[in-house]
Amino acid sequence: MTELAFLTVAEAAGLIRARKLSPVEYTTALLARIERIEPTLNAFVRLTPERALEAARSAEDEIAAGRCRGPFHGIPYGLKDIVDAAGLPTTGHSKILIDNVARADACVAAKLRGAGAILLGKLSTHEFAVGGPSFDLPWPPARNPWNRDYFPGGSSSGSGVGLGAGFFPAAIGSDTGGSIRNPASLCGIVGMKPTYGLVSRRGVLPLSFALDHVGPMTRTVRDNAIMLQVIAGRDDSDPASADAVIPDYAADLDRGVRGLKIGVVRHFYTKDVEADPEQVAALEAAVESFAQQGALVREITLRPLADFSACGQIILAAESYAVHEHWLKTRPEDYGARGRERLLAGATLTAAHYLQAVRWRLALKQQTLAAFGDIDVAVTASSMDPACRIDDGDALARNYWRQARMPFNVTGQPAVVIPAGFSRGGLPLSIQIVGHPFGEAMCYRVAQAYEATMGWVTQHPSLS
Amino acid sequence: MNDLREWARALGLDRLTAEHLAQLERAAANMKRHIERLPKNLTVADEPAHIYQAKERKP
Repeated sequence: MTELAFLTVAEAAGLIRARKLSPVEYTTALLARIERIEPTLNAFVRLTPERALEAARSAEDEIAAGRCRGPFHGIPYGLKDIVDAAGLPTTGHSKILIDNVARADACVAAKLRGAGAILLGKLSTHEFAVGGPSFDLPWPPARNPWNRDYFPGGSSSGSGVGLGAGFFPAAIGSDTGGSIRNPASLCGIVGMKPTYGLVSRRGVLPLSFALDHVGPMTRTVRDNAIMLQVIAGRDDSDPASADAVIPDYAADLDRGVRGLKIGVVRHFYTKDVEADPEQVAALEAAVESFAQQGALVREITLRPLADFSACGQIILAAESYAVHEHWLKTRPEDYGARGRERLLAGATLTAAHYLQAVRWRLALKQQTLAAFGDIDVAVTASSMDPACRIDDGDALARNYWRQARMPFNVTGQPAVVIPAGFSRGGLPLSIQIVGHPFGEAMCYRVAQAYEATMGWVTQHPSLS
Repeated sequence: MNDLREWARALGLDRLTAEHLAQLERAAANMKRHIERLPKNLTVADEPAHIYQAKERKP
């Protein structure tokens, strides 16, 4: 049972292809685990077992008939509940949209369905991907699988929790100011925020049009590359969709880092913000590991974190207010307190504030790309601290700003977060690897070199 | 609080309770420190833009 729970996508796909694992058996085992453990973790807003088993039987029949669609055929996964799946509610974890049933699949859900993936259900999020964790919404907040008294990160909290808990091997998250990478950091899993425009946002509740990204969340780097391969690509119905060439994201995974140029953005976590010493030690150990593996490591300097934060938060506040203005005026009482406060921030801005931030964004992007120069990737912090208690409002408010994720929503560059050990308290630590635009394959290559060396991904929380 | 309520009403936010107005006040204070960081040296030629074109860098 535990073995099936923590299979990787790559392992499960190999077993399914070889007819050593049945999609029905696999799905049934994960559903049984979810039924047993979910009440303590709240990863799901809605579990869809009948629909999942029907899809698993269909996958099994097709594969038995020799029509395997690829590595996601028969693989269970979860969708953050801001992403549409036809016939299911998309609530945004909010009372506002509690009866909102999706008429069609989001682009990413359609691509995963086409690849034969099996949807297990819709996953917890902070309200509308912005306000959380909250105890005043129709569903409780998700809890950290490493210690359920602790915050799992967000807003893609159910995605991170379910992966950490062995509920599924893959999930979809979204990231406007770090919402894929925060739960990846705090739940000890792998989360990629791809280049802006690489993955379609069609059918995904918007938060901030200029900053929203959709991306894969998995337990291993290889699985993340496999999932991005399925969901990346041009979509004419998303006005920000990029017309990029899609490479084989797994092709170079095992080439190592010898000879690669790796920049370290050290001032983010030592000067702009002083990260927790255990997190700093984990980052420096990773940098040392890359150097020992033959990478050419040097420090690079970007604009201060507070600049990226200010630019990103102004854009996010203005655009999210535009999305929510009608409901904030007509149904303010139907939001949770945290979501309402975050969303009302946009009402305090002028059009000039917003446009100055949007203009500043281009300058920050150009300065960042210039600083990257000839490096292949940069390494820096994601979260500055291990998870705090979920019921500690002061720590949640403080830690919210102690992160280095927003810079890459502002610049739109790809950024992957991977596990980097554990705190003395047994909570995950992480590093963030940032690439050039459309440089996801290089991010994965570097991440894989670290993952293969350190082996953190073989450790799982004890949930029995 | 009355000034804040009037200001919110002028924006069309006339259903906010006292609790909501306190949240709006905190949100405004939080946003103020971001606004203060906005650059003062943008030129008339600095345009808004936020998407990448694939031609910028081939994978």
